[in-house]
Amino acid sequence: MLTAPTIAELLTSPVVVQALADAWRDSEPTDPVRRHEEGGWIYMDTASGTLTTRRSALGGQAVLDLTAPPIVVGSVVVGTFHTHPNPTSDGWDPGPSIDDVQSAWLLGVPCLIQSDDGVYTTGPDSRRGGLAGGPGFPP
Amino acid sequence: MTGAASSPTISGERALAIAHADAEKAYRDLSIYRIQLALESDGWHIDYQLKDARLKGGGPHYVIDATTGAMASKRYEQ
Repeated sequence: MLTAPTIAELLTSPVVVQALADAWRDSEPTDPVRRHEEGGWIYMDTASGTLTTRRSALGGQAVLDLTAPPIVVGSVVVGTFHTHPNPTSDGWDPGPSIDDVQSAWLLGVPCLIQSDDGVYTTGPDSRRGGLAGGPGFPP
Repeated sequence: MTGAASSPTISGERALAIAHADAEKAYRDLSIYRIQLALESDGWHIDYQLKDARLKGGGPHYVIDATTGAMASKRYEQ
């Protein structure tokens, strides 16, 4: 029987690793004017267990809207991912913000964050309530 | 606003102006944040938090010395 993936399992998925790398590249972290947050959602097919990702519209310098994941037939949202492109060398905090922590618990899925010094996580260890509850975020 | 320090030399309005000037340089668009101002024992705490709690992101957080107006600490969340 399939279960919702944990943060540790998401972080070892090649699909998720690639999605984080792609989002980081698209964030333009080396451009002080154009750098911005990128990200999206991680889905699990409830029949096969296959993980896939979808990207959101691009965000702002320090904000991203992941509140409305597109429906993927046969799959549920099991995580979100986004970038923190502003550099630690300029005094920016690379880890989860207060708002990141709050939104992750509100939305009910793990939140993965790619920063310039590594990957951070916050929120529940796996989708709240398991794979039940419909295709979007868990109820 | 909460009162912990007595008779601050720097008003809350002045502390907010100091923080806001720095925040505008770092973040450019501050319209998405709700600003919280509180006088604590170590100075004015000024926190920018997203108006929509479901969004990913973060804002700046400051402590402004209530006597000198110096920036005692700042943290840029993202």
